Amino acid sequence: MGPQLSWYLALSAILFTIGVAGVIIRRNVIAMFMCIELMLNAVNLTFVAFSSFFQDVTGQLFVFIVMTVAAAEAAVGLGIIIAIFRNRETLDVDEASILKL
Amino acid sequence: MIATLLFILFAGMAIGCAIAMIAQRNPLYSAISLIGVLISLACLYVMLAAPFIAAVQVIVYAGAIMVLVVFVIMLLNVEDEEPRRNRLGFLVPTAIGLAAILIAETAFILYSVQSSPYTPRDNVSNVGLTASVGTGLFTEYLLPFEVTSVLLLMAIVGAMSLARRSNLISPTTRVVSGSQVLSLHVIDPQSRDVETVVETETTAEARSLMGVDDLRNPNRQG
Repeated sequence: MGPQLSWYLALSAILFTIGVAGVIIRRNVIAMFMCIELMLNAVNLTFVAFSSFFQDVTGQLFVFIVMTVAAAEAAVGLGIIIAIFRNRETLDVDEASILKL
Repeated sequence: MIATLLFILFAGMAIGCAIAMIAQRNPLYSAISLIGVLISLACLYVMLAAPFIAAVQVIVYAGAIMVLVVFVIMLLNVEDEEPRRNRLGFLVPTAIGLAAILIAETAFILYSVQSSPYTPRDNVSNVGLTASVGTGLFTEYLLPFEVTSVLLLMAIVGAMSLARRSNLISPTTRVVSGSQVLSLHVIDPQSRDVETVVETETTAEARSLMGVDDLRNPNRQG
């Protein structure tokens, strides 16, 4: 008996929960950004597990597109982080609690 | 049996690195832990018979995206977080109680649907190989693929316009020649309360912004 589908789903849920907890408890904006990446990866694991267990390649195509979105998010997000740091000299999100930069 | 052991190994690595990621105070250590999570997930993708996605995971995520994140961390020279002061008060035990209820519900669901339908895998399938991914991507899902390219173009333009150094100088700021950055009260002791600092790329630009000619060294061109 190899790994079951539910094992992968449980692992994905655990990783997603850790990512949510990280977004809530961390204050450094780069750390929050990395926790969002962790959540995207947890969802990717669910897609690949379903794709593999149901013998359908569509899930892996979704993973491919999610990775592209993550790359775009990384570019824009890090640009925003640099803009925040340039204006406020800090990366603490509590210091950047208003929309005006 | 060996697959079960490998799953436990890689899942343990992923969870351990993820917990280390949110427990670290230094963002650089967090980034390295996240790379550990991504590599573990790539190993799990190989176990799930998806070698193409595993390779893309290593190249794009652990390679490109994390290099970008580490580069920004090094560029900004961020310091460790200080521990957050406790300002939640009574909400902490409430959150623990709600989390216990949620975990109990999840355990109940997992217990009640233990016998989920399991489709046995045949080992001769080509799902997950590069050819099948490419066929699906360029026939049935061609429109999302093209839309993704537009998304990437928008991301490039957005990142460039966000990270560009703006040239706007407000009337209350003063500049210093050269690439040095000084507080305003160093130049002008009268204005101690003005904190604005302006950085310029060249001496000539600084000179023109200050509205002075470089009298000390008239022969040198900035």
